[in-house]
Amino acid sequence: MSDFSEELIRPKTEDDQEESCLFSGTGMSFPWLQKHIGTVATGGKKEKDFAQTTNACLSFIQEALLKHQWQQAAEFMHSYFQILEDSDSHKRQAAPEIIWKLGSEILFYHPKSNVETFNTFADRMKNIGVLNYLKISLQHALYLLHHGMLEDANRNLSHAETWRYGEKSSSQEVLINLIQAYKGLLQYYTWSKKKMELSTLDEDDYAYNTASQNMLNHSWKTSVNLCALIQTPGVWDPFVKSYVEMLEFYGDQDGAREVLTNYAYDEKFPSNPNAHIYLYNFLKREKAPREKLISVLKILYQIVPSHKLMLEFHRLLRKSEKEDHHKLGLEVLFGVLDFAGCTKNITAWKYLAKYLRQTLMGNHLAWVQEEWNSRKNWWPGFHFSSFWAKGDWKEDKALACEKALVAGILLGKGCRYFRFISKQDDEVLRKKIKQIKKSVKKHSIVNPGL
Amino acid sequence: MDFPSSLQPTLFMTGPLGLSNVPDMSFMCSWRDALTLPESLPENFKNEAPHLATGLLWEPETPGPLPLLPPGPDPWDPGVTAQDLLFRGAFPFRRRPQAVLDVTEQLSRFLWDHGDIAFAPLGKLMLENFKLEGARSRSKKKTVVSVKSLLQDLGGHQPWGCPWAFLSYRQRRFSIIGGPVLGKSVASLLGELLHEELAMRWEQLLLDDAFTGGALAWVPGRTPQVGQLVYPAGGALDTLCFQEVRLPPGGHPQALGDPGHIQLRGPVRQVVTRTVQGESLLAVRSDYHCALWKVSKQGRAAPLQVLQVGKGATGISLSPHLPGELAVCSRSGAVCLWTPQDGLQQVYKDPETLVFCDPSPWRWADFTAHPRVLTVGDRTGVKIVDTQGPPGCGLLLFRGGAEASCRRGERVLLTQYLGECGPEPQLPTLHLICTQFSLYLVDERLPLVPMLKWEHNLPSAPLWARLLPPPCPGCPRPLLLGGQGGHLQLLHLAGEGASAPRLAGPPQSLPSSSDSLSAFPLLEPKSQWRLQERLKAPTIGLAATIPSSASEPVLSLFQLSAAGDVFHQHLHLQADPGPHSRAPTASWTPQATACCSRWLKALLDVPPTPPVWAAPTFSHRRLLGCMEQRKVEQKGPEGLRAAMAAGRLLRQKDVGSPPSAGPPPAPEPGPEDELSARLEAAWQGRMAAWWERQQGRSSGPGRQPKRRKRRTQLSSTFSSLSGRLDLSDATSPPHSPDRASPEARPRPPVTPPSQESTQELWARGVPSERQQTLRDYMARLPLRGDAPRGVRSPLSGTSSVRATRSRPQTLQDGAAELPPRRNTRRGAAVSSSQTSSVRATASRQQALRKKPRMGF
Repeated sequence: MSDFSEELIRPKTEDDQEESCLFSGTGMSFPWLQKHIGTVATGGKKEKDFAQTTNACLSFIQEALLKHQWQQAAEFMHSYFQILEDSDSHKRQAAPEIIWKLGSEILFYHPKSNVETFNTFADRMKNIGVLNYLKISLQHALYLLHHGMLEDANRNLSHAETWRYGEKSSSQEVLINLIQAYKGLLQYYTWSKKKMELSTLDEDDYAYNTASQNMLNHSWKTSVNLCALIQTPGVWDPFVKSYVEMLEFYGDQDGAREVLTNYAYDEKFPSNPNAHIYLYNFLKREKAPREKLISVLKILYQIVPSHKLMLEFHRLLRKSEKEDHHKLGLEVLFGVLDFAGCTKNITAWKYLAKYLRQTLMGNHLAWVQEEWNSRKNWWPGFHFSSFWAKGDWKEDKALACEKALVAGILLGKGCRYFRFISKQDDEVLRKKIKQIKKSVKKHSIVNPGL
Repeated sequence: MDFPSSLQPTLFMTGPLGLSNVPDMSFMCSWRDALTLPESLPENFKNEAPHLATGLLWEPETPGPLPLLPPGPDPWDPGVTAQDLLFRGAFPFRRRPQAVLDVTEQLSRFLWDHGDIAFAPLGKLMLENFKLEGARSRSKKKTVVSVKSLLQDLGGHQPWGCPWAFLSYRQRRFSIIGGPVLGKSVASLLGELLHEELAMRWEQLLLDDAFTGGALAWVPGRTPQVGQLVYPAGGALDTLCFQEVRLPPGGHPQALGDPGHIQLRGPVRQVVTRTVQGESLLAVRSDYHCALWKVSKQGRAAPLQVLQVGKGATGISLSPHLPGELAVCSRSGAVCLWTPQDGLQQVYKDPETLVFCDPSPWRWADFTAHPRVLTVGDRTGVKIVDTQGPPGCGLLLFRGGAEASCRRGERVLLTQYLGECGPEPQLPTLHLICTQFSLYLVDERLPLVPMLKWEHNLPSAPLWARLLPPPCPGCPRPLLLGGQGGHLQLLHLAGEGASAPRLAGPPQSLPSSSDSLSAFPLLEPKSQWRLQERLKAPTIGLAATIPSSASEPVLSLFQLSAAGDVFHQHLHLQADPGPHSRAPTASWTPQATACCSRWLKALLDVPPTPPVWAAPTFSHRRLLGCMEQRKVEQKGPEGLRAAMAAGRLLRQKDVGSPPSAGPPPAPEPGPEDELSARLEAAWQGRMAAWWERQQGRSSGPGRQPKRRKRRTQLSSTFSSLSGRLDLSDATSPPHSPDRASPEARPRPPVTPPSQESTQELWARGVPSERQQTLRDYMARLPLRGDAPRGVRSPLSGTSSVRATRSRPQTLQDGAAELPPRRNTRRGAAVSSSQTSSVRATASRQQALRKKPRMGF
């Protein structure tokens, strides 16, 4: 029977790389399972003293890190290096990555650490366990970049770029692409610096020519560097942004459009709102026809109906000649105000109040009712409760007025929000409130016959 | 709403969990988040670079949390541990130890201890094949067995463990015929059920998800300094308590008065509170019920509605947008939107898991930035579901897979919406997703791609998280992550609006209640152990608050343990201690130790847990008074032990010179009647009634004189023994002392064998015709003892009574000479080496133990 139960509990595979986590019958792994077994297991292959001390040391380091005791962590780290001599080859191979992870963290926060120490450590670590060379180089470069040492970072990346080990695996390829892209980004920084310098120079100047020549060189190199990565599915906002900026600068509008379209519409990529925003901004700069802009924003609307560009989208739709665009314009406004983060957006409320009146005047009561039907059971509590009436009036009277108008139109004169605002006596807003009351009387959808 | 204008570069890979050849972009550490790509112009580098909150640290005031409330009146027991469930032996050729459920051990324990339950139904079925009375009369039918003779043969000793033990033909026949029936039905039926139960308990021990979300909540009061803690109390956690707590600026929280309480019908698993539009609501989840209260400004709770969840509720959350709206999910895979006014609306139902197949019925639901859109989560992923859209459709927000570079075996343990209602909602679109390895922050506008990933490495399951408001304007927000083992981690979360969320500074760990042990005075071991267990009790709830009025930011943190204790700690924000200053180590203040001592005193006043279960002490040997009496001799057991150690047969010379004995005494009629009455009751399943009756009779006047007579006879003959022989013990309800305190478990048996002058014990006066019987008896001797340890007096009493009829002067030694009894119930180590070798044999031969045994 014990064999039977063993079957239930035993790990799914004999994967040696995952020493630390054990699996239960459900396939879930429990990092704390080892602890439970440890209280029971009396025999079997005992851990060697060496493994015991290194494990203990590792947990001390982790504990010290979580308590921000960098000094102590560094001291423990000193002893932890013994793991590099572990007789267990799996552990020995996994060690450099752990050492890098912990070591870099200590050196990043240690009060006495500086860039030189970090550099020395990184350079050593790169050559212990060849498999981590690319990863460490990349992080090292990022560290330097973060500390403003662009040239060192660039040199590092260039070294890493040419590094090869064995067969080129897919993960290596991605990492090399990433390294090249960061290199491209660095080149972009120099380029944009040059661009700034150029803008200060006179076009007739002799220096202008050389500078612009320089820039051309850079651009060509950068495009090579950035191209490969942004074909790979992922989120590459900074790279795409800088690449497009350079392409645009040199008048390669088609290239830029292609990059952006691919970034936004390739199905292998995650649905990144920024991809659509970049494309929209590009098309706007390009002065693309309204239809085109609307079609881009329509997709953004589907992904992020709460985005601030939606108000712009609404304006575009309002200006459009098409009837269904007008309908969509109303939908977009309602959509924006559905979200918790947008409830205080006075522009949205202003637009909605105005557009509701406009729509109702245009005899499109059905559109309003269609939108309202799905919201009538929760908008009153969400937007138009007496709590919000009091709060809005206290904080932002203009917002309260806009909301009151919308509430009046959608819910009728009896609604609490409208009643509260209309009862307020305010010198400045008296005229406005009167207008609101009039509009509500005229447009309210609650009793359209009157 | 703003969307971060530029996101961190991330590789996007689709695929299953643990895809190994993907370069894990999150291989970087916490400092990765501190790195910012120079966004705008290279000139700004120098200004931006040093913007790093390295000194961001919440400094605990004391080295560990302090008890807030006196311990409850109910004792607490840690319950089942890994030791109770797992096989303790070793697998010699394993690379690493593995968890193996010890079903055999549990089953045999069960058969020994609850034979009546295991075998009585079978006995009932086979009633016609047994003859209970009239031992001497022979039945014509071959299929009828006389119980009495069978029992006589058994002699009260199970010959298991010793392959050379003597078996009578009757026993043999019975074993062969009855074995398949008894063995199979019990082992297969019971074994399967037991295995199922054990597997369930083991899973529960590894991960008890009932308390996901936490059963402790903080309801803010009218002023920032006062609030209420809401938590379950009582041994069954079925009393909901409302404890008012004052947070004096700079001082420790004080409990104001006694807590108000509401008695519920089931254990409280989750307590949630929210203040939406000025209305404080309190939702409680029990196993099969959910309830909603409204908390008035004065702090009084008024019940609104109770909901019954037939399949069992797994999660409840309160809407941050609309007052009185809840999301409830059940084990059946259904998620409902619940409002007291409109009742239930089923939003989603799918008994299958989202991404891949996982057997866990755990489901979770929470709200999103859109009040009509919910997240629905299970162990494999999280989905966004529009309650107004067509049923069943939705978008995956998080996928346990390569998208988030999840590890193999990684599962979602908690999902939480981090946005909240307020005038300026911060992070209104972020969701926290916790697995046993990592923590993910996912923006609902960019599904599948985590905005932040942090490997928390908590040594227990993270089942609760609390996001707190920024302690000061512009400060990062503290995000508390709590593990079941009391482990706490605090992350500093920065980035709102147009910047992506990131960690500002390295996360830190906070002390857990077991760190408080040093604040308590040193105790004697038993109490110390009790205190330790109490402090180690798993956490079931977490609440935290930052009283806004304090001049310096202070974080008050409360933790509820499964034992019902509320511990609190107090943390100060060390904004920027400078590059070289070291964090001062907290120390115990006299007030803190005084507080702990008071609490400890109250704890030790609580009576310890009554034993969950005690072994029955009755034995059929005592009841079956006809059992032959033995004289115990010294050489026999020794020779036997030697023979067993060497694994050879016991020979004549091993047991010494042939003993002589008188004819076996005639059975006493009284106890025999008792036996048949009892057996009859057992067959008819009225054992409990019999026992009651028996107890009543034994304490009643009719029974007493007879006993007393026997007793006086005994004590007059063996006066020296009477001190030990307490007959009231024999009839008192079963009680085993070792259950009282688990630390006393590995106790050696009561009497170590004394090696005193008893050599001539059975050399004298054993008639030759008894020699064989005696030898047989000897052969089984060290292995016998189905009697639970520590209750030897009745047994030794009776056997010595019989033995000493002929040889009164040797009995005293004989009684003391009984070989050490193997403790079958606990399997504890026995002091002498011989018996441990016996043990080894016994465990090898565990199958033998499953031999058919009569049901009692």
